[in-house]
Amino acid sequence: MSTTATVHQTKWWSGGKSPFNLEYGKLMMWYFLMSDAFTFGAFLISYGAIRFSQNFWPDPNAVFNAFPGMGHQNLPLAFVSVMTFILIISSVTMVLAVHAGHNQNKNGVIKWIAWTIVGGLAFLSCQAWEWHHLLTGGHGVLVDGKIQMAVQNMRGNPWGKLVENTTALTAALNNTPHETLVQLIHFHDHTKTLQELAAMPDTQLRGMIDLAEMHIREKGPVAFGGYFFGITGFHGFHVFSGVIINSIMLIMTKKGVFERKGHYLMIEKAGLYWHFVDLVWVFVFLCFYLI
Amino acid sequence: MDHQQDVVSPEITFQHQHSDADFRKRVRKTTIILSILTAIELGFGLTIYTIHKGENPNPTLVLMFKGMISILTLAKAYYIVSVFMHLGDEIRNMIMTIVVPLLLFIWFITAFIYEGNSYKNLRNRYDPHFRETMMPSQHHKADTAVKTQGGKE
Amino acid sequence: MSEEMNTPQEVVTTHEVHHDEHHVHHHKETFITKYIFSQDHKTIGKQFLITGIIWAIIGGLFSVLFRLQLGYPDQHFPILETFFGHWAKGGQIQPEFYYALITMHGTVLVFFVLTAGLSGTFANLLIPLQIGARDMAAPLLNMLSYWFFFMASVVMVSSLFISTGPAAGGWTVYPPLSALGQASEGSKLGMDLWIVSMALFVVSSLLGGLNYISTILNMRTKGMSMTRLPLTIWALFFTAILGVLSFPVLLSGLILLLFDRNLGTSFYLSDIVVNGQVLPNEGGSAILFQHLFWFLGHPEVYIIILPAMGIASEILSVNSRKPIFGYMAMVGSLFAITVLAFLVWAHHMFVTGLNPFLGSIFVLLTLLIAVPSAIKVFNWLTTLWRGNIRFFPSTLFAIGFVSLFISGGLTGIFLGNSTIDIHLHDTMFIVAHFHIVMGVAGMFGMFAGIYHWFPKMFGRYLNSTLGYIHFWVTMIGAYLIFWPMHYEGLAGMPRRYLDKSSWVSFSQFADLDRMITIVSILVFAVQLMFVFNFFYSIFKGRKVTSQNPWGSNTLEWTTPIRPGHGNWEGEIPEVHRWAYDYGKDGREFIPQVEPIGANESTH
Repeated sequence: MSTTATVHQTKWWSGGKSPFNLEYGKLMMWYFLMSDAFTFGAFLISYGAIRFSQNFWPDPNAVFNAFPGMGHQNLPLAFVSVMTFILIISSVTMVLAVHAGHNQNKNGVIKWIAWTIVGGLAFLSCQAWEWHHLLTGGHGVLVDGKIQMAVQNMRGNPWGKLVENTTALTAALNNTPHETLVQLIHFHDHTKTLQELAAMPDTQLRGMIDLAEMHIREKGPVAFGGYFFGITGFHGFHVFSGVIINSIMLIMTKKGVFERKGHYLMIEKAGLYWHFVDLVWVFVFLCFYLI
Repeated sequence: MDHQQDVVSPEITFQHQHSDADFRKRVRKTTIILSILTAIELGFGLTIYTIHKGENPNPTLVLMFKGMISILTLAKAYYIVSVFMHLGDEIRNMIMTIVVPLLLFIWFITAFIYEGNSYKNLRNRYDPHFRETMMPSQHHKADTAVKTQGGKE
Repeated sequence: MSEEMNTPQEVVTTHEVHHDEHHVHHHKETFITKYIFSQDHKTIGKQFLITGIIWAIIGGLFSVLFRLQLGYPDQHFPILETFFGHWAKGGQIQPEFYYALITMHGTVLVFFVLTAGLSGTFANLLIPLQIGARDMAAPLLNMLSYWFFFMASVVMVSSLFISTGPAAGGWTVYPPLSALGQASEGSKLGMDLWIVSMALFVVSSLLGGLNYISTILNMRTKGMSMTRLPLTIWALFFTAILGVLSFPVLLSGLILLLFDRNLGTSFYLSDIVVNGQVLPNEGGSAILFQHLFWFLGHPEVYIIILPAMGIASEILSVNSRKPIFGYMAMVGSLFAITVLAFLVWAHHMFVTGLNPFLGSIFVLLTLLIAVPSAIKVFNWLTTLWRGNIRFFPSTLFAIGFVSLFISGGLTGIFLGNSTIDIHLHDTMFIVAHFHIVMGVAGMFGMFAGIYHWFPKMFGRYLNSTLGYIHFWVTMIGAYLIFWPMHYEGLAGMPRRYLDKSSWVSFSQFADLDRMITIVSILVFAVQLMFVFNFFYSIFKGRKVTSQNPWGSNTLEWTTPIRPGHGNWEGEIPEVHRWAYDYGKDGREFIPQVEPIGANESTH
């Protein structure tokens, strides 16, 4: 079988040279990335089409304004810029890994690809935090004359227009059930436990609520969540598979596979993929967070 | 195996020469450029945010900033592809096989966005419910409250 | 993997050694490595072809079944109930069954037969052989491409046997029907399986397409410049580009559809009431799916027709013993068609509520396709003109292809105009149009290719007498089936309806529909005869005795009659000229490997 494998895997070539001065694997990686660019492109363009078909779209600065450990402070764009820089830096370390491969510098490859993996994992952790924050951290939304606690998920968006009609809000507050009142207050004020709040009568709870501070909104466009989680999820999946690929590269480098082969072309291909992931993020960043 | 570096594959006839110092300089330069571009983007993003907070947000101004951010993003994409992915070092025909198909995105984006917009106009005209519930009467003003908003964690 | 350390430059210098080795292992290859998990592009091509044939029989049978319903809406066929149980209660095809049949007929024929079976077969078989390469760039991925196709097939077949039946919302699976399980039987599990199957199919097509592109670009033999490539290769090259750039968009669209079905998102859904129940979905756009679908869907029809064009060009030139007329114009028009294929998708959606101004741009772009198409037709006809034509079955099918392409293409000009399309949309006219120009023409290209390259594939000939019968019955049958549909469509008869007998205005077509049904059964029977011919000839056909039975210039005929893995014994031949030196300087043909003579005339 091993001899058959020789026949199968030998690169027969008698055309003299590659017209593109590239080995076929890298060429295929490039065209794969082209194709993947169309997958992402289709997602982002669909998102654009839907966004243009809506009269209202949530302001990203209002949606993405939290930072881990900073509580309720309003820090628009802060966390996502950290994520962006993590990915840019991991792209740089990948470039250095590829370069070390050019120089047949095994230890250099190991060092830089390990840092790239760290960067990828850091990015994924950030994304996990952000998703968790959006999926669990809700706020009050006015629905059908009642106030509800709503979170950002695939089926609903709580970032609609801000309700400024105070009379409507006051009326809605009177229709709002006990549990929601408890949640609303607990959300803004951690001084009392849920049990303590639950024991209080509705009238007292209503008295504790400052409607102007609650910033009750209407429901926003449902598609926002679907596209946000769908596209960042698909991108996260790419980051994840990139981390896996880089880990395999790391192990293969450590085992000296490329050293024996005499070239580190596989690292270059993995590098192309990783940079593509970074590239996609640049556009996701643009479409979801900036504009 | 004692190959020379320039024969890693029979398909490759010449190897791009990167002198180490040159290369490091280029990577450093590109990293700085990317960081600065991102910083400017964030600056513009926050500018849009402050414009929204103001009394009379100017939609044209917002649109202008968004346009500038998009252009900066394209510049970032250019640097990543051309320097980090080494596409700039490839021969011209290779670059063309990548760049030319990307031109399809122009019509792809234009048609989809135009169509999305037209769908909105149709619904605003024929679907009063859609128009009433989703029309942003005071959209820009609505976000002024964001600065103090904290009810999310 | 470890064997990859076999250094490449060794390979270049020690071809002979490898070649000898190659013969040694021939005996060591087991049945499984040689016929099942083979990495030899020729075997993979045959696998695609045979799987495609099986699918074609299934898909064709579906069409016979629903034609039976259309031709005899009031008749009962108890045998149907025997086979299909409650799907054909009382021997009559039930509506759900009918919709499942047309959906599966479309899906199977478009994707599994005319994409995988056509370009999968001929790209695998011809690309390495005609450009002078030992195999594809990445044989392993190439093998995986087939096996992903196989898995897609398995999933699709399995959907035929579940209790709620396969997808039944039409091959275009438009939401909301396809997105809501409660909407119909065929929108339940069958639809999920359809999506999974198509996702696997996209992976298969991607693996194949990337391989084809890099092989053609990177692995041509010495002297085989791009402008010396046979037109088959050019066509397959553009087909692969179309696939690589457009299938991912379908994948995106299907992923969103899957989310809408299973996660409660609202990408395509808005303001929907099913059985009196108001759904919470809001803000999506069903038209968005159509845009995404047709961004693939339109290139897809060129994925089907381009390989057929390439095959027809090659066969017409070989068998009329004349150089192809206007080689560069042929390449240019293939390129133009490829570019336009990406720009015209919304002409399938003129009546959806598409913005009319946008529609008018799509009309303009669509009508532009007539230009490269007309160039191609003109060049095929002038290639035949005053040629010394050898009427083999392959030639006849290639000529039939041209005929069908003309008659089907002309009705495309009707449909490309949005104003006329408002009348013709979703009528039998459109069924006639795309079946002639894409379906039957694609099949004809495939048949021509099979008759022409069967000797290369199996070292034997197909039976010509059966081939002639096959051609004439199919040709006449195709026109008898689809030509009358134009009249039905112009009269406004809708497609996809299972019983039109309640319309008085269409009762005049009852006899016509019955005739179409009878002819389609006949044509289907003749296809079965072809399948018999195919399998019989693999084992018992007349043996090929000469290396170059058709007197053809291209490189595949310089290989041994039954080439092993690696194609050429010894060095890969060098190419010195283009592929179309037929009837030049008093010689019938000059193979590509022959150096340019001292006194040779120039073109």
